[in-house]
Amino acid sequence: MNLAEDVQLISFGLLGVLMIAAALGVVLLDQIVYSAFLLGGVFLCMSGLYVLLNADFVAAAQILVYVGAVNVLILFAIMLVNKQETFKPVGNRWLRQGATALVCVGLFALLSTMVLATPWVVDTTVVLTSTVVQIGKHFFSDYLLPFELASVLLLMAMVGAIILARRDFIPEKMATDTQDALTLPERPRELTGTVSDR
Amino acid sequence: MDLSNDLAAQLNAGAILPEGLVIVTLMAVLVIDLIVGRKASSWLPYVAIAGLFATVAALVLQWDNPNPLAFFDSFNSDDLSVIFRGIIALSTVITILMSIRYIEQSGTSLAEFMAIMLTATLGAMFLSGANDLVMIFVSLETLSISSYLMTGYTKRDPRSNEAALKYLLIGAASSAIFLYGVSLLYGLSGGETNLAQIAAQLAQGDSDQALGLAIALVFSIAGIAFKISAVPFHQWTPDVYEGSPTPVVAFLSVGSKAAGFALALRMLLTAFESVTVEWHFIFTALAILSMILGNVVALAQTSMKRMLAYSSIAQAGFVMLGMIAGTEAGYASMVFYLLIYLFMNLGAFTCVILFSLRTGTDQISDYAGLYQKDALLTLALSICLLSLGGIPPMAGFFGKIYLFWAGWQAGLYGLVLLGLVTSVISIYYYIRVVKMMVVKEPQEMSDAVQNYPPIRWNLTGMRPLQVGIVFSLITTSLAGILSNPLLTLANNSITQTDLFHVANAAAVETVAQVAEDADPVAQ
Amino acid sequence: MNSGIDLQGSFIQTLTEFGLPQDVARALWIPLPMVLVVIGAVVGVLVTVWLERKVSAAAQQRIGPEFAGPLGVLQPVADGLKLVFKEDVTPNKSDPWLFTLGPILVVIPVILSYLIVPFGQNLLITDLNVGIFLWIALSSIAPIGLLMSGYSSNNKYSLLGGLRAAAQSISYEIPLALAVLAVVMMSNSLSTIDIVEQQSGYGILGWNIWRQPVGFLIFWIAALAECERLPFDLPEAEEELVAGYQTEYSGMRFALFYVGSYINLVLSALIVAILYLGGWEFPIPLDQLAGWLGVSETTPWLQMLTASLGIIMTILKAYVLVFLAVLLRWTLPRVRIDQLLNLGWKFLLPVALVNLLLTAGLKLVFPVAFGG
Repeated sequence: MNLAEDVQLISFGLLGVLMIAAALGVVLLDQIVYSAFLLGGVFLCMSGLYVLLNADFVAAAQILVYVGAVNVLILFAIMLVNKQETFKPVGNRWLRQGATALVCVGLFALLSTMVLATPWVVDTTVVLTSTVVQIGKHFFSDYLLPFELASVLLLMAMVGAIILARRDFIPEKMATDTQDALTLPERPRELTGTVSDR
Repeated sequence: MDLSNDLAAQLNAGAILPEGLVIVTLMAVLVIDLIVGRKASSWLPYVAIAGLFATVAALVLQWDNPNPLAFFDSFNSDDLSVIFRGIIALSTVITILMSIRYIEQSGTSLAEFMAIMLTATLGAMFLSGANDLVMIFVSLETLSISSYLMTGYTKRDPRSNEAALKYLLIGAASSAIFLYGVSLLYGLSGGETNLAQIAAQLAQGDSDQALGLAIALVFSIAGIAFKISAVPFHQWTPDVYEGSPTPVVAFLSVGSKAAGFALALRMLLTAFESVTVEWHFIFTALAILSMILGNVVALAQTSMKRMLAYSSIAQAGFVMLGMIAGTEAGYASMVFYLLIYLFMNLGAFTCVILFSLRTGTDQISDYAGLYQKDALLTLALSICLLSLGGIPPMAGFFGKIYLFWAGWQAGLYGLVLLGLVTSVISIYYYIRVVKMMVVKEPQEMSDAVQNYPPIRWNLTGMRPLQVGIVFSLITTSLAGILSNPLLTLANNSITQTDLFHVANAAAVETVAQVAEDADPVAQ
Repeated sequence: MNSGIDLQGSFIQTLTEFGLPQDVARALWIPLPMVLVVIGAVVGVLVTVWLERKVSAAAQQRIGPEFAGPLGVLQPVADGLKLVFKEDVTPNKSDPWLFTLGPILVVIPVILSYLIVPFGQNLLITDLNVGIFLWIALSSIAPIGLLMSGYSSNNKYSLLGGLRAAAQSISYEIPLALAVLAVVMMSNSLSTIDIVEQQSGYGILGWNIWRQPVGFLIFWIAALAECERLPFDLPEAEEELVAGYQTEYSGMRFALFYVGSYINLVLSALIVAILYLGGWEFPIPLDQLAGWLGVSETTPWLQMLTASLGIIMTILKAYVLVFLAVLLRWTLPRVRIDQLLNLGWKFLLPVALVNLLLTAGLKLVFPVAFGG
């Protein structure tokens, strides 16, 4: 998948502009829902950049994970708790925004100076075999240990998410006598006080 | 199959045997809880503790491993990592001892808590030996994510939720910054992820890379300083320590911090070897700020947990002194101090947990007159606090002396003097608690102590707590006088690690220069 | 295996023979597949709509559409025309931008997914080496469009419908992807071409459905849920949610949803045909048949025959599956939302994982049959 140079350059420019515009929208817009949708746009543009880098698998994974899962969950959270609330405008808001902008511009200037000043090593080797195969080989050779550790990490993240999200079960003996056809099998259990000795 | 044997030998898989044992324990805890259910919770903690002791035993066998590099150099099991992994595993053992009763009373389930705690241990242990950028990041995230989960574990407590959210947001931001710095390293070295190879590549690099390298250094240190809660990156510490379950705080203040120091040592001494002067300078600033701010702000605290939070910030400042010294003695004193800090800090936290379990409060003023009601608790807490403050003949005193001596030898006169002054300040707030407990007359007793329940050790989970208290009491009071074995251990761990032989040559040259750099700042 | 017909190559060659420069010929080729895909997809939808109306009528012992054209085949066209001329209402206090963007975001990924559907050895638009994975990734964008339209309609039924749709498609994407993964493991490639080729050679006996019966069922159930077809049409369950996220839509924007859901159905059927039913392969291995009859592989008429048979076979298999889906729609009751999620997370997911594990084990033990 080697696009012609011009097409590549134009696509890069287009994606870059789109991405920066969307990212600015994420930060600057007042409506949080717009920010969330634009975040999806940023992720999509990013996957476009991966395509330009010949990393097609990463691009597809980016869409699947970030757009299809992360962004949808963010939207879910926003829509489920979408409370219309009028916030009191903060006094001297421009001062805070100005300071933030100053810091951001400064950081941007610093980083871009660094990027331009540094002689980066450019890797010109063209990957001829499928990128999927390359990734797989790395996972099972030099990055084997991090790959396996990531599985433990994901397992625990899953367990933890379930713990945080679930409602606690009432103990079995209490459940039997109050169980009606229509009540939910789980309900918040009574708080055990910190002082009580059970 | 001989194929698998061959593979294991090729990967040098034996090097991660301790971590493998932790994983097995973790799975055992999860699966047993799943199958046996609630009934298992009375003996499940002991499974975890047994697993961790097996881990420590495996670590002992790893000592002086002639072939420490494993998994294509992505993990290094040299003596430095062994000792840090040992500190982390032991801190988890004591934390589990103290958490059984706490979790029982908070009405949450114990098995998952231990599983997450073991995952955090696993991440921290891998982090201590990680020798590859990818490995570093994955293990750092394993540690961080399980820490966030534990912080918010008592989810019906709004303070715990607040703590978890704050920790998560700040932690995610610092991870992102760290990742940015690390990615710069990857780019500057021309696509290497292995620390040694990065160092080799950077050594060849031209001077144009200096700015990039400096930014990479600052960003990486920002991530590390968040883990060890050094001062400009400490904002999360007091709130998180106050809100989260106390056993978690104990782990964060010892295990997680030790892992942070291990990461700092390995990364700065290999990958950032070419900018030793710069990172010494940054760490000097961090150490000065941590010692001053940690100790001064701790004076004003009314909550015991917040006070211990600021004290842990200050202690991190002291430990950094050993890093800045840049000599073998400096590193050895770091390790020695962390070993002692493990016992005295965890001892203090165990006492705080016991007190809050019995009275439901952790305000310092509520400790008034505790001596009359609970002598053992008073004794243990006093010894641990005095040791943290560095009063002879407790263990902490020897730890601090060694640190300061190493710093003085390396010519860090200003820093050492500052350390001495702030130590004296710290003694004030430690002694204040001790005085509150011991000296008060019966009529000055706080309400909480007046309503102190009768001491019963036969409740579920109380016995392990008692064991934890007595154990840390004994080690804290004896490790000072009989500190020789620990000292030898710390010294050996440094002298037998290749990492320092490489670094030493560079360090010796720069030490004098650094001392000059550091001095004006300190004064 | 012969290479069949190379459409792009012959098209460009023909144009250059007419004296056009190579680059212009290539540029002329670029929009062609896109147009072809859109036309193909729309025609597919029209056929499916007709099929749905006829089959549902038969299931209820009615006649169904019969006046518009012979057997009512023009009925879907009439439906479409009606939608085009209908007034396009934007509800009060809705968010006009998101309201318009929502249906577009639902349709575009589905149409894009046609990129990877092969109708023959060279009869597909791009042979990406991430092939089937691209389809999974693209289909995960659709929930964003659904959430968008649900949110912007300013209607509680729409919002609930959108949320349900997103929850449903996220839940069923996992077993779906795991089922695909088992197939991919056998063919050692994500490319749709390789997946079909791996099934070729033994006619109907070589198809993946025999090696992956469980995977086939999981995939089919999950695909139905992804398409929001009955028995999984929770997002638009009339009794509870009026019409779900489509409640406020009318005219062209509604037509986009309508078309999108049917394109998705046809697409899913095509993918099932490719993954499990041998794609363009004829039930009897044609090459060997030709070999017995003494016809050379390179004979032009044989190549033409295999190519057209390939297209016909793919479409035929897909429409049999569409017919099955329609039949399911009119025979099965709708599941409840908690049953739906339970089925997805507590049944399909573990079964899909076990299936994956078994496939891996079988691949190690019988590398001949399960792709070494």
